[in-house]
Amino acid sequence: MRAGPVIAVALRLLQQFRRDRRTLGLVFGAPIVILTLLGALMRGSTTATPHVATVNEDTATLGQTVAGYLEQQGGFSKQSSRASAESAMRAGKLDGYVVFPRTFTASATISHKFNEELRIEGGSQATRGYLQQQLAAAELRAFIGAQPKPPQVPVDAPKVTYLHGGAGLDGLDYLGAAFIGVVVFFLVFIVTSVVFLRERTQGTLERLMASPIRRGELVLGYMLALGLLTFLQSVVVLAFSLAVIHVHNEGSVLLVLVFTGLMGLGAANLGIFVSVFSRSEFQAVQFVPIVVAPQLFLAGLIFPVDSEPLVLRIISNVLPLTYGIRGLRDVMIRGSGLGSGEVIRDLLVLLLFAGLAVAAAAASLRRRVA
Amino acid sequence: MTDSGPAVVVAGLTRSFGRQKVLDRVNLRVRTGEIYGLLGPNAAGKTTLIRALVGLVEPDAGTVTVLGKRMPNVEILDQVGYMTQQAALYPDLSVEENVGFFARIYGAQDNVGDALDFVDLRSRRRDAVGSLSGGMRTRVSLACAVVHGPRLLLLDEPTVGVDPQLRVQLWAGFRKMSAAGVTIIVSSHIMDEAERCDRLGMIRAGRLLAEGTSTELKERGGADRLEDAFLRLSAQADH
Repeated sequence: MRAGPVIAVALRLLQQFRRDRRTLGLVFGAPIVILTLLGALMRGSTTATPHVATVNEDTATLGQTVAGYLEQQGGFSKQSSRASAESAMRAGKLDGYVVFPRTFTASATISHKFNEELRIEGGSQATRGYLQQQLAAAELRAFIGAQPKPPQVPVDAPKVTYLHGGAGLDGLDYLGAAFIGVVVFFLVFIVTSVVFLRERTQGTLERLMASPIRRGELVLGYMLALGLLTFLQSVVVLAFSLAVIHVHNEGSVLLVLVFTGLMGLGAANLGIFVSVFSRSEFQAVQFVPIVVAPQLFLAGLIFPVDSEPLVLRIISNVLPLTYGIRGLRDVMIRGSGLGSGEVIRDLLVLLLFAGLAVAAAAASLRRRVA
Repeated sequence: MTDSGPAVVVAGLTRSFGRQKVLDRVNLRVRTGEIYGLLGPNAAGKTTLIRALVGLVEPDAGTVTVLGKRMPNVEILDQVGYMTQQAALYPDLSVEENVGFFARIYGAQDNVGDALDFVDLRSRRRDAVGSLSGGMRTRVSLACAVVHGPRLLLLDEPTVGVDPQLRVQLWAGFRKMSAAGVTIIVSSHIMDEAERCDRLGMIRAGRLLAEGTSTELKERGGADRLEDAFLRLSAQADH
């Protein structure tokens, strides 16, 4: 292995990246845009209160009391009859309404059943839940208040402690830790498969194969340039995640970079290997859903691997991203370090995958291309 | 022209792609310092033969020996320059960066200026290759092939799209290299270019029909023009 050709390939790739603003935008800009969106959606969203109404036909006290309680709650209004409530719903002004029939008080006191009727518009899943939740609270309050000697109902006030993180940890912390690795893996994969495909289609690979450069030197040159790009991308994505959208990190930043670095290395060589099977950039892009989609769903980014059906769990356990995501979460959320057997296992699996990808990439560069 | 043993020896080279026999028992000897022209129509097997010389095509039968080494041999490629038919370059890099890249692969960074002078592109060295005309790209490609001062230069249709004035200039350069002991193998279907070679090999349908100087081939074909000689020799081979 000679340093000259390796450095020549790496320098040339970096020169190409420097000129290619679109690729730089994809590598550095896209993850920041996606993370910003994720942050805004997961931390800035508010739950819209549905527009609901009460219709009270019960002339006895219980119906009036429950309806009265509800009308004080957010989103509630009062409708005089079923007909008016129905027409308001059809006009799009109501998401649902609750009717307390004439027998409401009698049913509650004699049959011990609250026989109110719910009518839901059906366009949103949230309305029914909101109505039932508010109803249950109002009915309990009205029913207890109606007793001659109302009991004191204890308020639920548990003391919660956490081994890792704290009450402030939310979905973004859980997703963000994994997302840093996912974004590095996929963007490096896409960039490498296209860049290397160009090397094949524009004939420069043939020219290089007719030069004294060794396959290993070419792959190493690619790894050096893409390694640097991956490192810079990881630093930017991580800095943005920690400083701007405040993704929780309890572990070593250096170890996070080791994880993303290994994932990038595997992705780069997978990209070189996959480019063998493409004849155009369009065909190379067709590999993106094949490589990306299964890992996105099965590697534990959204659905926990442990709760998957057995067959899918087996597939998940051979996907490199599963180990990358798990490792990143262990480090960032649990604060695990190199003392953790699980972190070491995840690193070793990623290293093994990167090694296999390097071997596959080198094997794909047969000198005799015909 | 020096004559110190063959630079290239091809013996019984046969290669098929699928059912099609692209090279059929080709025998060839190219002397050191000679300019040897591979003359033939499109799809005659010229490019495959050149690719076999650099080890990119594995023979089904026969052997290829380049500068005394049996191919494939990676070490000897240090002394071989190969200009592909398609100007294989990085379009987003400048002329100088392209030539510089191939120079670095061979450890010949100091020769970049000379290579640019050889193809008369020093003034355009900062231009992106993607913005150049086809002829200029061919010149950059040639600069990449000669930058490391090879002992054997393989040129696959090197002057396609190059204007006549520069073609004359390039051929003067090839002559100079040949005089310095560089062996050059040029594939072409341009007869005028073929006349400039020391010796020619006429190739058609994967077979070497005839070999010799252009005068010898014209005599053998009983024609005044090389083109007619080629057609007659092809017809003789068919019978």
